[in-house]
Parts: sequence; structure tokens; C-alpha cells
Amino acid sequence: MRAKLVVVIACAAVLLAVGQVRAHHAFAAEFDVNKPLTLKGSLIKWEMVNPHSWFHVAVKEPDGKVTEWLIEGGSPNQLIRMGVTKNTVPIGTELTIEGYRAKDGGLKAVGRNFVLPDGSRLFLGGSAPGGTPAETK
Amino acid sequence: MNRRSLVSIGTLGLGIAVVLSVSIAAQTPASAAKAAPAAKAAPAAKAYTPPRTPDGQPDLQGFWTNSTYVPLERAQGVTKEFYTPEEAQAAIKAAADREAEQTEPGTTADVHYDFSQFGLDRSQSKFTSSLRTSLIVDPPDGKIPPVNAEGQKRASERAAARKAAGGPYDSVQNMPIGSRCIIMGGSGPPMMNAGYNANYQIVQAPGYVMILTEMIHDARIIPIDNRTQASQGVRQWTGLSRGRWEGNTLVVETTNFNGKNPFRGASESLKVTERFTRVADDAIDYKFTVEDPMTWDKAWTAEAPLAKTEGPIFEFACHETNYGISNILAGARAEEKTKAEQAKKGSN
Repeated sequence: MRAKLVVVIACAAVLLAVGQVRAHHAFAAEFDVNKPLTLKGSLIKWEMVNPHSWFHVAVKEPDGKVTEWLIEGGSPNQLIRMGVTKNTVPIGTELTIEGYRAKDGGLKAVGRNFVLPDGSRLFLGGSAPGGTPAETK
Repeated sequence: MNRRSLVSIGTLGLGIAVVLSVSIAAQTPASAAKAAPAAKAAPAAKAYTPPRTPDGQPDLQGFWTNSTYVPLERAQGVTKEFYTPEEAQAAIKAAADREAEQTEPGTTADVHYDFSQFGLDRSQSKFTSSLRTSLIVDPPDGKIPPVNAEGQKRASERAAARKAAGGPYDSVQNMPIGSRCIIMGGSGPPMMNAGYNANYQIVQAPGYVMILTEMIHDARIIPIDNRTQASQGVRQWTGLSRGRWEGNTLVVETTNFNGKNPFRGASESLKVTERFTRVADDAIDYKFTVEDPMTWDKAWTAEAPLAKTEGPIFEFACHETNYGISNILAGARAEEKTKAEQAKKGSN
């Protein structure tokens, strides 16, 4: 396993927020826009809970030490409705996670993107968007 | 390829399945994302006879969603009440595009998980549609009436009280009601599109109608036995509802709100009147009228149709696993500590 920790701390310019985020809470209060990171590791636990999923990921650092990171994701309800279960993403699944680190400095982050080894993004294969109004008035 | 491009392809690829190394693609029927039928036009509504419950009520039971891209208020620059079908399609696509793009990388709005990955974009689930340019049908301009002097005074007082209580992350109590998992906008009344997980279950029994809101698992129990309203001293987050049948329409009047989660800045004297009429097997016309002379000089009315969707409603258990609250508070304390240390260094 070539999993390794890549934490990129960059000073990103804080621009005015663009677009509307439909959020349960203020994520910018929980995570730091100035601490974007990329983590590579294997899934050891998925808390499929509300209001937000939490992915526990074992990340191997360059010196071989393994640390457990907690990654915040979205509400699982719609995933369940689409047939996604805990068995869909088995323990041991390799994930690359782009996100932002928690403001309290702990081993926690929000997962902006969850990417599988083949480059595809987690769960997106299940989406089939683009509805057409069936009837209007 | 940048993040925005990925999101756009993922969300608006119109059925182009991304093959994942974990097998989830086959588990989601493509039909799951079709737009739901809107409430039928008036002539069809007259022809439809709703089924009856065993005790003879018009049957509203089942799973429903009010997810929609139609905004509550008419957008700036839009002056007509109805779009053409082509314009309505374009408006939906534009709104779905904005939703899929979500944020700009490196901005505070980007500090978030990708909604599309978790199937939380409205376009990824059933949603209702209509040619209306706003849910508000009265006033005719599609806008909430201006807040009157009394309402403005109260808004100022509430803002002052929030300021006096300290910063937004000084304590749990200073954080928004939704963040604290107490109540979210979908519960109502009035029942408003929550953006995602906008699902409801209606259950009827002799003398009662119950409306369960998926997010965050609120059950509104509405007596329909002609009982009088409780005294003014009894107040609840979702008010106290009393219902009655007018023909095939369930009319629900709600007052006695506790005022801690004011709908659009309303006072405790808010009165919401809802009308549920099943107009097809898969559609309920849902209209609501908002009255509060302490906030608006005129009542206002909106139509937000409910479309049949698939159950069950999954338990939300929001409060039990709301780790975000402790993380936010811990983050705020860490920031304070950093600033204090920097100030100390500066003074040395």
C-alpha cells in the first residue's frame, strides 16, 4: 500500500463566497479554508449517520506511522434511498480525499471530494440527474 | 480538469454513468431522478376523485416531496407569473447548473463536502415543477409583502439581543436552531422545501392527521375532531395545528408558535393556514397563507405542490450525531487561543 499523508497547507486568498451552499451548519466555522489538504488512506469505518456522514480513514505517513483521520461528508439519507449501504463501500477501500482541515487542529477534515483509485468519484456513479417537468400548469 | 468541470460532468452528464470500482452504479434506477409530475391543472383536479380512508376521509397518505427549483419569491427582473414550458426548462437547468457548481475552490463556500457526490442536488431526486415563476401567488408580484414598522422594530430588537449574547460561536445557544438539530425549515408550518431530504409521510387515523418530516424527524399531529385551540399560553416550535375537512380539502390552521424560530421574521402571533387537496394519485395541491399583522400589513399566499415519492422515511437522529457543534466550538476556542498568543507576542 502506497498510502501516504500529503498535507498541503496553503495560504489561499479568502474571496467572497460564490454560489449558495445549502448547508446544515456553517462549515467555514468548523474547517479552515487556509488549510486545504489531500489525504490518501484506507477506510476503516463509516459512520452513516445524520446530519453528516463521518469516514474514518487510516493514513500512512512517510515514516510508516499510521494515523486515523475523521472525514465529514454528507447526509446518508439520499444515498440509502439510491441503494447505497455500508456494504457498498467496504472497509479497506482506498480513498483519496481532498478537503479542508478542522480549525481545532485535530485529525479531522471535511471531505470536499472522495476519489477512488481509478480516478472516479465516490457515489457519483449512482446519480442520474436532469429531470424533465412531466406536467406543468 | 478542474473541480468545477468534474462537478458539472458528474451532475449534468444526463445519465452518463461513471463506473466505480465499488459497485453502486447498478443499484440506482435512472428513473429515480425524473422530475415528478406537478399538480394537475384545474380541469383535471375537478375530475379527480381521491381515494378514501377506511373511516371515510379523503386519503392523503403516503410519501411526498416538495423539492422544487421554483423559488419562493419571484426573481429580480422576472415580471410575469408563468414561464413558457421552454423558459421553465431553461430556468430549471440554470438552477441545477448553479447548484452543481456549488462553490469556487479556495473560498469559504468551498469548505464543504460535494453535494453531488452524496446525491443531495435537487436534480438527483424527484422534484416538483410548474410554469410558475414563484411559489408566492398572492401578492401578484410574487414577493413577500414589505415588513411593517412593528416588524422592523422587532427585527432590530432581535438583532440587538443576538449581539448582546456574544459571538455566534461563543456558546451552543448562540448557534442557529437548525445547526443545533432542533428544527429545520421543512417542518413548517408552512412546509418549505428543505433543499435536500425534502420528504414527508402523511398518516391518517380517525380524528387525526400526522405529518412526519424527514429532516429532522418532526411529527406534527393534527387533530381534526373540531376541538378548540389550546390557550395562548401553550406554545410549541411548530405551533399548534387544528384541522378540518372542507370537501376534499384538508384545511389546517396553526397558531401558538413559540417565537424562537420565527418564520421569515414573524411574531408569535403568526397564523398559518394550509390547504391540502389531492388532485391525482401522485400529486397534492398544497397552498398556505401566512398572516401576522405584527409583521406584514397584508396576508400572503403560496402554492408548493407535493409529489408522490418513494418511502420509507429514514430516521434522521440529527441531535445524536451532530459532531459539527462540538467541532465548531472547539475551532472557535482554538482561534481565540491563537489570537491571544499572537497578541501576547506582539505586546512583548
